[in-house]
Amino acid sequence: MTDITKQPENSTKKQGYWAGVARDGKKMGFWFILPTFLLLLFIVIFPLFMQLYLSVTWWTPLEGIPWYRAWEVFSWGDNYVFQFTDERVWGALWRTIIIMVIAVPAQFFLGMSLAYLFMDNFPGRKIFYSLMLTPMMIVPAVVGLMFYLLFQGTGPVNAHLGLPVTFSWLTDVNRAMISVIIADVWQWTPLMFLILLAGMLGVPSDQLMAAKLLGGSNWQNFLKIILPRMKAVIAIALVLRAVECFKIFDLVYIMTKGGPGVQTETISVFLYKMTFGEFEWSYVAALGLTILFVLSIIAAKGLAYIAKKDG
Amino acid sequence: MKVSPSAMALKYFFVLFASAIVLYPLVWMITMSFKPYPEWTTVAGLTWLPKNPTLQNFEFIFFGEAKGLVVSLDRTIAGPFIASLVTSVCGTLLAVVAGTLSSYACVRFGLAKTLPLSVLQLRLFPPLAVMIPVMVMWAFLGAVDTWWGLSLIYGIVTLPFAFWLMKTFFDEVPIEIEDAARVAGCSYWRVFYRITLPIVKPGLATCALFVFILNWSDYLLALLLTQKDWVTLPVYMATLTSAMGGQMYGMKAALGVIAAIPPVVFGLMIQKHLVRGLTFGALKQ
Amino acid sequence: MSSIQINNVTKRFGDFTAVEDLSLDIKEGEFVALLGPSGCGKTTTMNMIAGIEDISEGSILFDGQDLSSTRIQDRNIGFVFQNYAIFTHLSVYKNLSYGLEVKKIDKSDIDTRVRAMADRMSITHRLEQPASSLSVNEMQKLAIGRSAIVEPRIFLLDEPLSNLDAGFRAYMRAELKVLQHEFGQTMIYVTHDQIEAMSLADKIAIIDQGKLMQYGSPLDIYNSPDNRFVANFIGSPRMNLIDGKLREEKSQLKLMVHGGAEIPLKGQVKSNFTSDGSVQSGSFGIRPQDIYFGDKRSSNDIEMKGIVDVLERVGPKRIAHLQVSETNFIAFDDQDQLKLGEKVSFFLPSEKSMAFDEVSGRRSGVI
Repeated sequence: MTDITKQPENSTKKQGYWAGVARDGKKMGFWFILPTFLLLLFIVIFPLFMQLYLSVTWWTPLEGIPWYRAWEVFSWGDNYVFQFTDERVWGALWRTIIIMVIAVPAQFFLGMSLAYLFMDNFPGRKIFYSLMLTPMMIVPAVVGLMFYLLFQGTGPVNAHLGLPVTFSWLTDVNRAMISVIIADVWQWTPLMFLILLAGMLGVPSDQLMAAKLLGGSNWQNFLKIILPRMKAVIAIALVLRAVECFKIFDLVYIMTKGGPGVQTETISVFLYKMTFGEFEWSYVAALGLTILFVLSIIAAKGLAYIAKKDG
Repeated sequence: MKVSPSAMALKYFFVLFASAIVLYPLVWMITMSFKPYPEWTTVAGLTWLPKNPTLQNFEFIFFGEAKGLVVSLDRTIAGPFIASLVTSVCGTLLAVVAGTLSSYACVRFGLAKTLPLSVLQLRLFPPLAVMIPVMVMWAFLGAVDTWWGLSLIYGIVTLPFAFWLMKTFFDEVPIEIEDAARVAGCSYWRVFYRITLPIVKPGLATCALFVFILNWSDYLLALLLTQKDWVTLPVYMATLTSAMGGQMYGMKAALGVIAAIPPVVFGLMIQKHLVRGLTFGALKQ
Repeated sequence: MSSIQINNVTKRFGDFTAVEDLSLDIKEGEFVALLGPSGCGKTTTMNMIAGIEDISEGSILFDGQDLSSTRIQDRNIGFVFQNYAIFTHLSVYKNLSYGLEVKKIDKSDIDTRVRAMADRMSITHRLEQPASSLSVNEMQKLAIGRSAIVEPRIFLLDEPLSNLDAGFRAYMRAELKVLQHEFGQTMIYVTHDQIEAMSLADKIAIIDQGKLMQYGSPLDIYNSPDNRFVANFIGSPRMNLIDGKLREEKSQLKLMVHGGAEIPLKGQVKSNFTSDGSVQSGSFGIRPQDIYFGDKRSSNDIEMKGIVDVLERVGPKRIAHLQVSETNFIAFDDQDQLKLGEKVSFFLPSEKSMAFDEVSGRRSGVI
């Protein structure tokens, strides 16, 4: 077994810049961070400034002028003002929130129930566990396809429920939303399940046993011992899912394209339509920055709250 | 510990019920991919298993045409499949290398303390809120509909996951091992390359697979940044719909099955670490 | 209060047998210690009594009732874990009240009882504080109080004093004994510390490798060990156990020690060795306290000659290691007379000496 700390015999002590870097922690760290820094600079920071620039113009790719000459169609804050009166913006926001408010709690309760089911060992638990995790591993676009197929008028859902072929899910004004929510719940409940189960199993088993010996039923122990100890885990699961749910696109676009009309047009779908439907790129730029701003404030407030809680 | 048989029966009932719900859409899509045209809808009577199972759908997407079908495609699955593969692999490489290196520098040298949080914030925003300038830039640079253009975006978008995942693995390497090597005369680079990296090799593999799954599963970014030559599988699958007026159920199902397999296989392989990756290291299994 | 009958209980974990054919009869209100080296199966046995582990074979009866089909929650068994298993996310008050709350007892009743128990265990001043902020000693008291407050039929304690500092351990030993009398419960106590067992228990069950070695009062076990293991395990310093072959030489029975020494057998111990018929080899046992120096006191006492090899001071006493050929005898140098390297005569009283069969380990000559 060679001693890896020794220099290989046939090499002279390398001089030069890189040898110095290898020996200097701070220098090496600088080089290590550089790729990430460059990526961030190039793809995040610089574009943000460009976005700001575009958002105060009327520029679209259809204008015929290259983007750097967007100052020729300056608009000041008009895009921003328009956002607030744009019904479609509020509609999209509203619809996104509705989806979040229904889907995320549904996933939470189903995930928690599943976790409770899987807490104690039983024959076959491992296999069923892997099976339960599968939906969240399916490519979201494919999930969209699956439910698109299922919810066709001439599809299995109607056939198995005994509904007529004319009973529409994806093109009905009310039921389109429900279809999308069902698809989202199917796909992401496993994530809740995964996280909540991990949290549940993190509860010390001897405390659980002590509670049992004291006469606590499984349900009582769940409420008084397991649940209180899962507060942090529950918060993580909810926040993670809420953030992702806000961004929902693949499922919706493939199942309904935001339709019928704008019935299932979420924020992301709306932005997409603005981008490749109406090519209002400067408007989207302004909208994007507004969203960034609002979300950053919410995130900052959230972090401050957590920091305070931890003391 | 005795569990009453009735409690066990109830448990199995719920587990099986949940399993059925999980399997319903999956089985439907899989069987659909083997069904010939008449069986795609209830018009001819709906069944789970195809009455006349066929490989027609797969033939069609692989060769662009199939026996008994009048239509043909101008493009087979080969292109999109390679596109998905190349961009996912390159994006993964980029994310994992950049993420691992910067994560190590952050953990061991305490540099760039704001990096973990800022990188986390990237995941907070809807992609479309920030993609306009990228699309403009990409058009300007001629990066649209190229493998490297998409890979670059994939790299930055999944870098947060790579960063945080490797951070948890690096945190588990006891600093005493590295200190011992340093005391024995190793340079910082040697310590990293010869000691730390080998220890986190399994973590590195997990990270690569995890990021690959995320890149492969992307739809929106490819939709925005590709047009024809480098369209990825999910986009190809979706556009197949609209191109033919939406009645290519069998082919779409076949594509869906093929597209879904790699992430599921890899996902089951790294099952143990999924919690860690998805919660950015907040939880472990 | 309940009596416990352990009938031929066996516990297997796959290929490994943790407890084999164990039978114990514990009477109501008794304080029984399960004593044995680490890994001997004493904790497993206790877990089976509590219902935490299933029984592979045999049965455990409580007042004649088999509770194996009853849920743990309904068994009403008090259990104190080795690491206490305190509910760290709850206050001390809530820990104490847990067992009462789950029975849906009236709030004011709960309050009275909790405060009484806190007072009894001297932790009233900590009632409103988080249980995680308690010291180890206080946690132990809380653990006991939490189990005691629901008035279980039996009380199981798994090495409850092993985490405590020495001074507090002595205090808690006394406290436990008082508590047991006060609550009048049947108590089963797992420990590897023989001093604890000897001082606390009414009866001791010595277990080794899953098998019961002896079950009796501390005095019985000390004075009449059933087998070599018990003789070796109980007593500090350990009993001298010398192995050898028996040989008749000119109508004299001698024990030819493997190390070269010869022990002439006389009197009681001689008849002990021969009582089981033809015994070829065995162990000779004599406690260090029983070996004496100076003048022979009885004709049946065995005289040995040896060299003083080591002298150790243990507190106020001195222990001498006496070398006879390659065999070592340990004795107490009461008069502080011996010198290192000195050649001395010492005596083994045959009445106090014990004979053990080499193969079975059983004590020979026991009626």
